Amino acid sequence: MTYPAATSDIDPVDRLSILAAALPGAAVGMRRIAAPFDAVWQVIADLEHATPRYEPGVARVRVTERHGQFLRLLVQDTAGREDAMEARLRPGWCVMQSGTIVIAFAARRQGSQTLLAHLEHRRPQPSAPGQNQPRDRDAARAKIDQELRVIETLAIQAGTEA
Amino acid sequence: MAGNLWEVPANFPYVDPEKVAAAQQGDALALDRLLDELAPYVRRLCARIAPAAADDATQEALLAVFRSLPSLRTPEAIMTWVRSVTVRTAIRFARQQDLAVVADEAMPDASAPSPEKLVDIDDALARLPAAQRVVLVLRTRDGLSEQEIATALGIPVGTVKSRLNRARAAFREAWES
Repeated sequence: MTYPAATSDIDPVDRLSILAAALPGAAVGMRRIAAPFDAVWQVIADLEHATPRYEPGVARVRVTERHGQFLRLLVQDTAGREDAMEARLRPGWCVMQSGTIVIAFAARRQGSQTLLAHLEHRRPQPSAPGQNQPRDRDAARAKIDQELRVIETLAIQAGTEA
Repeated sequence: MAGNLWEVPANFPYVDPEKVAAAQQGDALALDRLLDELAPYVRRLCARIAPAAADDATQEALLAVFRSLPSLRTPEAIMTWVRSVTVRTAIRFARQQDLAVVADEAMPDASAPSPEKLVDIDDALARLPAAQRVVLVLRTRDGLSEQEIATALGIPVGTVKSRLNRARAAFREAWES
């Protein structure tokens, strides 16, 4: 009657669900990506080059500091505004936040494919209560789904080039 | 082989109240770090109370903790609160498992656990009914007083005492068989 020992770490996709539970109003999408984990994570981890390709509002990302898993980023949007972000990045797990937004990715190996989960959350702004209207969840999910499709395309390309 | 069952271990891991407060405000990186600190404790507790469903119980307990985090009024009390949420969640899974075991044992081809398979303390604990297992785990592995167990489970201290007595007797019987 020996039960299998619990694994030491939480699966990243389960971890993203827990994070979402603590962020009311967060939008989460998931997609089975037709590319291996390493190719998918190569795209997600390449914050400077890949992010502007799948995130339509982002023009440029620059990593300004890196201490192990912890990074500081400078993100310029397509209107030219810059925003500082903090991030934690490791294989299968990425969470980034500025004062106004949280972005997270989590990936799980599924044979030769990858389950990729993506979270976006607008942080409440105490100084601007009028701007704290709930986002259109359908629009947020549609945006995430579109980004996941683009990431899949990039991952398949990355897998082909590898 | 697991350690001494009757040894009272150090209590909770320390969690910085400022980190808890930041997480309560929706700081995602604080939430991420908080998860790092809480998850091992929650998993250990779930593995002891609901060993056959430890992964599911852990995930459910952590979801419940993080969903309700903003309602925690005193960040300093987080570990007491996490313990309470985790124990309640794990008991629910353990009782489901107990029912499943009863159903399995009613099947003609089901085999009852044999003493030969009793390889360590966790195996002996796993053979106790959920209600007895949880009080024994909280008393001996987590070092809770009978009053603290009563508070965590929402039952009278007298009930804790009687369950502990029954659990210790059942454990010894399982261990020595």
